[in-house]
Amino acid sequence: MLTRRVVVCLDVQGGRVVKGTGFVNLRDVGDPVELATRYEQEGADEIVFLDISASAEDRGTLLDVARRTAERLFIPLTIGGGIRSADDVGNALRAGADKVSINSASVRRPAVLTEAAERFGTQCVVASIDARREGAGWRVHVRGGRERTELDVVEWAVECVRRGAGEVLLTSIDRDGARTGYDVELTRAVSDAVDVPVVASGGAGTAQHVCAVFERGGADAALLAGILHDGVTTVHAVKQAMRDARLRVRST
Amino acid sequence: MRAVIFDYGAGNLHSLAKALEGDGVSVEVEADPRRAVEGDVLVLPGVGAFGAAVARLAEGRDAMRDAILGGLPTIGICLGMQLLFDASDEGPGAGLGVIPGRVTRLVAERVPQIGWNDLRLVENEPLFVQAPLPIAYYANSFVCRPDDERTVIAWSSHEDDRFPAAVRFGRTIGVQFHPEKSSTAGVRFLHAFLRESAGTGAIR
Repeated sequence: MLTRRVVVCLDVQGGRVVKGTGFVNLRDVGDPVELATRYEQEGADEIVFLDISASAEDRGTLLDVARRTAERLFIPLTIGGGIRSADDVGNALRAGADKVSINSASVRRPAVLTEAAERFGTQCVVASIDARREGAGWRVHVRGGRERTELDVVEWAVECVRRGAGEVLLTSIDRDGARTGYDVELTRAVSDAVDVPVVASGGAGTAQHVCAVFERGGADAALLAGILHDGVTTVHAVKQAMRDARLRVRST
Repeated sequence: MRAVIFDYGAGNLHSLAKALEGDGVSVEVEADPRRAVEGDVLVLPGVGAFGAAVARLAEGRDAMRDAILGGLPTIGICLGMQLLFDASDEGPGAGLGVIPGRVTRLVAERVPQIGWNDLRLVENEPLFVQAPLPIAYYANSFVCRPDDERTVIAWSSHEDDRFPAAVRFGRTIGVQFHPEKSSTAGVRFLHAFLRESAGTGAIR
């Protein structure tokens, strides 16, 4: 049986890992290759590089980073941010990504999911969805959460899978960076509605939050960033808490 | 020793090439299926879809099949393992037909299977004696169903569907998981395969 995955996300800009809140106050926290391989050693099950660059020039740098990373990282690597077409997916895969996440581009033109899946297989196509609570449900947002759409999150997730996504990366904008816990209800609603793995993102403050989104949210994987980079907790400690909660984890 | 990766389309070959590299092993990537069999070891990587891959293989299929059946040590990874079989429900075309059997879709609620899954290793398999691999990374919707289960050297289960994690046919190995993505233990497994292929490890 599959284990529950702990996925570590690194924000990359101009070839460096950066950290900040809401795209402001960014500061350099290190080399992506070094950080990714360090997290592999600590027991991370997967790494995500999220390209937060504004310019196309910086995007080229990320492919170079992916290439250098793939030579030293021996766990799966997902690349996201600024992917617009099946050609972009192909370039990221050739550079060294194992999976590619598509966000705003799939809302603008959903066929991009199908095109990528037909060429490279559904297992490497990740639908990245940014959700904000609205009334009794959640609304899809794009452009880094800045632009609201009319799409209902659960319906959109089902549509993405129907069109070829093999995994859903589900981020709660409300919880992102707040460290008050994942949006368990959101994760549960989506994971019940789709038949592909769901990666929960946004809100992790403690190892217990991670356990909760697995136990009650039905997530297959949990994405962690800030609390690891800031040293609030470690991958090892998170996995120990999961083990204590009788969740299946990969031991290292 | 020359390990040749047959490149039948897009995909991440960097990690695989780096994972194979080591003492006395040089790695080449070759898109021509007839030239891909000219190394000491053939590697069939795991990217893309069955139909597209066999189309790229077609012109060199017989040469590759003959080379493998003639004793060329070969490792097929994920889709590369599936290519060793006769045919697949994923797409049209003939596989290499080295191992009798068919590739079918996983019977499970959540497909594709993405993540780390346990292996139940068959006892005394020399590769796993040298490089035990209790858990490995998978990203697949389809699995191999060999006619003869004695070819299976490790099993995994996704939900209630038990499927071959690894098969052996002489010096040919097929693995449904990605050893190059299964961290240190996965890389060690690849090196054990290379040592066996070089004749410096145990060969059954």
